[in-house]
Amino acid sequence: MLADDAVLFREGLARILTDVGFTVTGQARDGAELLGLVRADPPDVTVIDLRMPPGFSAEGIDTAAAIRREAPEVGLMLLSQYVEAHHALRLMTDFDGGVGYLLKDRVSDLAAFGADLRKVAHGQTVVDADLVARLVARRRERDPLTTLTGRERAVLALMAQGLSNAAVAADLHLAAKTVEAYVTSIFTKLGLVQHEREHRRVLAVLKFLRA
Amino acid sequence: MGAAAIVLVAGGFALGPHPGNLHNGLIAVSFTAVGLYVAGRRPGHREALLFVAVGAAHAVMFAGRQYGLHAGPLPGASWIGWFGIWPLPLVLVLVGAAVMCFPAGRLPSPGWRPVVAVLAAVGFVLSAVSALWPVEYARVGLVAGPPFRLAGFPAADAFYSVARPAGYLLFQLVWVACVVVRVRRARGDEARQLRWFLYAATVSAAVMVAGLAVWRSPLPGTLTAPLLAVAAGAAILRHRLYDIDPVINKSLVVGAMAAVVTVGYAVIVVGAGRLVDGHGTLLSLVATGVVAVAFQPVRERVQRLADRLVYGRRTTPYEALSRLSAHLTAPAGGLLDGICATVADAVGAREVVLWTGPADDLRAVAIWPPGTPLPGEHNPPDEPGTPGGPAVAPVVHDGRFQGALTVTRAPGETMSVAEQRVLGDLAAQAGLVLELRATAQRLVAAGDAARRRLERDLHDGAQQRLVTVAMELGAVVRLATTSGAAEVAERADGVRRQLLEATAELREMARGLHPAVLTQDGLEAAVGFLADRSALPVRLSLAVPRRLPAEVEATAYFVVSEGLTNAARHSGAATVTVEVTLDGAGLLVEVCDDGEGAAVVRAGSGLEGLADRLATLDARLTVESGPAGTRLRTVIPCG
Repeated sequence: MLADDAVLFREGLARILTDVGFTVTGQARDGAELLGLVRADPPDVTVIDLRMPPGFSAEGIDTAAAIRREAPEVGLMLLSQYVEAHHALRLMTDFDGGVGYLLKDRVSDLAAFGADLRKVAHGQTVVDADLVARLVARRRERDPLTTLTGRERAVLALMAQGLSNAAVAADLHLAAKTVEAYVTSIFTKLGLVQHEREHRRVLAVLKFLRA
Repeated sequence: MGAAAIVLVAGGFALGPHPGNLHNGLIAVSFTAVGLYVAGRRPGHREALLFVAVGAAHAVMFAGRQYGLHAGPLPGASWIGWFGIWPLPLVLVLVGAAVMCFPAGRLPSPGWRPVVAVLAAVGFVLSAVSALWPVEYARVGLVAGPPFRLAGFPAADAFYSVARPAGYLLFQLVWVACVVVRVRRARGDEARQLRWFLYAATVSAAVMVAGLAVWRSPLPGTLTAPLLAVAAGAAILRHRLYDIDPVINKSLVVGAMAAVVTVGYAVIVVGAGRLVDGHGTLLSLVATGVVAVAFQPVRERVQRLADRLVYGRRTTPYEALSRLSAHLTAPAGGLLDGICATVADAVGAREVVLWTGPADDLRAVAIWPPGTPLPGEHNPPDEPGTPGGPAVAPVVHDGRFQGALTVTRAPGETMSVAEQRVLGDLAAQAGLVLELRATAQRLVAAGDAARRRLERDLHDGAQQRLVTVAMELGAVVRLATTSGAAEVAERADGVRRQLLEATAELREMARGLHPAVLTQDGLEAAVGFLADRSALPVRLSLAVPRRLPAEVEATAYFVVSEGLTNAARHSGAATVTVEVTLDGAGLLVEVCDDGEGAAVVRAGSGLEGLADRLATLDARLTVESGPAGTRLRTVIPCG
């Protein structure tokens, strides 16, 4: 199910999602309309524009929250032309998994976007790589990130985007055991507490990077 | 000291009533008490110490005289009484010093020190003669005689009878001259302090004269001695300092009118009564009528005279306007304060407030005296003519209401026609200034709105279209891949990537125009974004619990942005500290770095643009740049 006030984009998105094997069950112009559609027929996942009528501010997040209250099983993928750290943190804090936050540009890489959308539908978390890169590159005083090796930094960035250990291993062409060792080392070096739940792990890393 | 004075005075009073010595006791009690009270409130105040000294000296003299005046001579009365006699000239020198040093405890200028030295020398000689020979005893009438007798009394008495009046006259002339010099030079609060004291002295003298004239007794005048001490103490502590002018003014008018009525009535009834005998009742009626008719015109004259005596000459309209022009060329930000200061000078106000905004929603923007907190955000001044309320002058420019000036004066003071005219002229000038200020604000607001609109247009237009096209290209890539046209797929993907790069550049441009995050999520989020992107580590301290007017948020954002850019570009700093805090005074924005400090407000520089922008919000940009780093700081008033 899709919600975006730009018709061309919405229609195009519906078409390519259909091409890659999704069934688009509804399209809405704004949050209220989407909420009505979700109520009538809850989908696996919704794609929501962050900045929509009436206020063109962060209506997408409010809509997402309303959907989560009424239909907790529905995955929420938020798209925006800007990705902001505070929105990402809010999405990680207020929602316990099943959320994604991507730059709108990402939809042009259909395969990757389709994969991300499926993750969100399955209750996993997706955070835009641009935002994570920006936070990792952020200058800090006495930067604890300097104690990480190059590989550890790469693993951290992927973790922050919501990838599981297995996904990180696949992405970096490493053995799952090796990734586990890296993750343990990163959490020790940064003084973070390991979380079993992947979503909690993303939140901890994002909070650390933003602090 | 206080206890000793009380013991001496109480003991003295216990020895019986002696009206001729009463003034010493009253002065002892009142000056010691006032001096100690003032010293308690202002430790080490020199005038307070002088008062205590005056009180203590009088206590000693009072007790000595009381002892010596006792009808049945007491043991040792000669010696103790002697202490009530001879110190008098020296005590008078002390009193003179206290008067000359009022109110701060310092002489008007160092040039007066030799004069005081001469007075002290004269006092010393007089006291010495009075101590050695009983030249003062006849005047005081002590029961107990002098404790010893030296030869040469006739010569000493002859000298003293000439030297004493001459010396005392000298004392009085010097005091008066000194006080006159001080009054002529005094301005502002010091002038009001002096007026309190002189007012008390005048009342005391008037009672003395009336007492001598009516009851042929100095007693009523003597009883007013404590009034002087209390008035002087109040003046030093500045207690109700500003109420003195109307008090004097009213006293002068009432006193003068009482005299006019009495004299007028007496002249008519008595004078005309001689000519027209036997028509007493008729004459009384006529007299009453004449006095009643003459009363109002005479009162107005007297009031004007009293105004001139009390308030002196106020700044003339021309002076006020030329001073305002001087303020207008002063650096921006102080302009509105300058208007208030000029108005205060011109009409002798206690408080002047400049308000701007529509008539039903005025906001205070400047106040005199400087440092006074501005009245509540939307607190329109009282309607003109409200009794006891401030005078209000509307500020109008080109027929448009711009705001108002309110002038608060001491209670009971009314504004003369001339003063109202000056206020009106200044309000007209203020109208021009407010209009210019409003124009600058409108320009900045219009610029901001244009940038916001551009950002929104880019977001909803070009950016949206480019993203959609990239998405369609993605679909083409997929189609080419599935249909086996690998080369087409590869080239199409290359185009897609380039398109995304172009989109990213456009996004950055749009953000530079006006960050959407600022409009949507406020200052904390937007400054957080700046810190994330800064090339230098940023220590953030943010406390902005609510949304602020768009122009305030945008200006604060640009201050932080410019500060971070400068720090990264020029200073060689290791870290930057950014503080954005909202408190009672307004929004504090501060950017400090620990670099070498090279920031200056140059014409055409980013900092100058910021300073101009801040000026439209009545805020000032301070730039401190030195070897320890650079600090940009401003406080934007936002109610």
